[in-house]
Amino acid sequence: VTANAIAQVAIYMAVVVAITVPLGIYMERVFTAKPTFLDPALLPVERAIYRFCGIASETEMSWGGYAIAMLLFSLTGMLLLYLLERLQWYLPFNPQGLPGVPPSLAFNTAASFTTNTNWQAYGGETTMSYLTQMAGLAYHNFVSAAAGIAMAITIIRGFVRRSVKTLGNFWFDLVRATLWILLPACLIFSMVLIWQGVPDNLSPYTQDTTLEGATQVIAQGPVASQEAIKELGTNGGGFFNSNSTHPYENPTPLSNLLEMLSIFAIGAGLTYTFGLMAGDVRQGWALFAVMALLFLTGAFTAIHFEQRGNPNLAQLGINLAPSATQSGGNMEGKETRFGNTDSALWATITTDTSCGAVNAMHDSFTPLGGLVPMVDMQLGEVIFGGVGSGLYGMLVMAVLSVFIAGLMVGRTPEYLGKKIESREMKLAMLYVLIFPALILGFAALAVALPAGLAGITNPGPHGFSQILYAYTEGAANNGSAFGGLNANSNFYNWTLALDMLPGRFMMAIPALAMAGSLGPKKSIPPSAGTFPTNGALFVGLLIGVILIVGALTFFPALALGPIVEHFLMTGGILS
Amino acid sequence: MSVMLDLLVVVTTAAFFLTSIAYVAGCTRL
Repeated sequence: VTANAIAQVAIYMAVVVAITVPLGIYMERVFTAKPTFLDPALLPVERAIYRFCGIASETEMSWGGYAIAMLLFSLTGMLLLYLLERLQWYLPFNPQGLPGVPPSLAFNTAASFTTNTNWQAYGGETTMSYLTQMAGLAYHNFVSAAAGIAMAITIIRGFVRRSVKTLGNFWFDLVRATLWILLPACLIFSMVLIWQGVPDNLSPYTQDTTLEGATQVIAQGPVASQEAIKELGTNGGGFFNSNSTHPYENPTPLSNLLEMLSIFAIGAGLTYTFGLMAGDVRQGWALFAVMALLFLTGAFTAIHFEQRGNPNLAQLGINLAPSATQSGGNMEGKETRFGNTDSALWATITTDTSCGAVNAMHDSFTPLGGLVPMVDMQLGEVIFGGVGSGLYGMLVMAVLSVFIAGLMVGRTPEYLGKKIESREMKLAMLYVLIFPALILGFAALAVALPAGLAGITNPGPHGFSQILYAYTEGAANNGSAFGGLNANSNFYNWTLALDMLPGRFMMAIPALAMAGSLGPKKSIPPSAGTFPTNGALFVGLLIGVILIVGALTFFPALALGPIVEHFLMTGGILS
Repeated sequence: MSVMLDLLVVVTTAAFFLTSIAYVAGCTRL
């Protein structure tokens, strides 16, 4: 790993740490209804929404009521998006005259954007009208992210409230997350992106003549306004097919850095919000430390393998060394303006979170460089994670960790003063087990059926990696494409939709239930036998549990894909 | 044909969310 790479990662991490505290404080104020500087502008809007929708925002909900409100809200949004896609031909803001989206692709896309996955089996500029992009996809970018933040906040309430059966109001949390956090942040970030050269218009596509005299169609559209929420909401669905490799989505080194920062921003800030709501910011920093250490390990691993490149090329006399004139290493599928470091760093960031935006093609990474994004997702998207879902996933892992620690020393496990008992452990197991069941189950189905095998473009272990990656990003609600898999088929559209939906909702439900189970419990004051959950020992234990749960479950599948491909490459059998 | 597929999508979506609501009920009784 070059000194330049170390410096870039260090600068990136330092800025993430710097924004965590102010963002965390602001979000805590928003969700506990303390005054904020945006109140004069937003309180009247909030009140108007509640009045228009007939919402009693002060009414507290049980965890079950909260979950059902979230489910019905998502169901309605998903069906409306499906309808919009199917009928876009008859609707305005369609200057290219794009036809209605076919049913299986529309279903896949509706499931994808409702679950905050934003997997795209389509090319945006050739499939979706401006109206579908703005009123359908961008709408879900906001509300699916807001629903994730809302769920994280309500789950924190379950952990920190004492002897209370209710956990807040879903509509209050949803509206606040959208109005106070996502909309203002996206407004500012969109302006910055426009300054950097990202277009935002409703014009027909431009036709131009290239230097060689050929005619080229240059896609246009409301890009900047959707680019901001794509990263801030850890959505990841690009306006254009090639996502953030496209110069209209990610034109400059500064836009690249800011987009990477905005992917981590809210997830990092929520750890501090958690610490504040728990009454001990060190609890939040402990979770932050776990996330940061796992992130740095993944980032440097991916950068190392991408900088080293393919040894078979070096044997042919090709110069892979980094220099002032070339990035060196493995540059297949990468933008020369980003090089190895920023491509591998972005890949780690986008898969640690459930973002899934890409600025390089993960399919073209070296086998072990490409293993890192896959493992990041398989660890359960808890490394900053999806906005909201990352934090509550980490809290489930924290509960598992204190349970294991309790078993070791023979004491009743506690977390934040709440006793962890059999009900919480059953719910934690439901949360943990459905994830690998979805990924490995669907991957096994795909490799067993001709319809699944038909999507593979590279035979052998790399083809298996393509399938494993696809169902991993689906269940993890990540949405990044490994690339190379022909996924716009009935088989992949349906199975990936049925992979994404439980990956979001069937995992959120047990997490909410756990909060509902902890909320009514009394808080026990710490004693000499209490395992402190705000120190280095807990950080180490939590990292161990996350790695063991992820690594043990997925190691055999990884051995069949990227690991064996690495040995075949180094042995000179595969180039 | 496409109307039948539309219907299949709507039924599948509704079935999934109904199952999720039943899952909420199941987790309540756990």
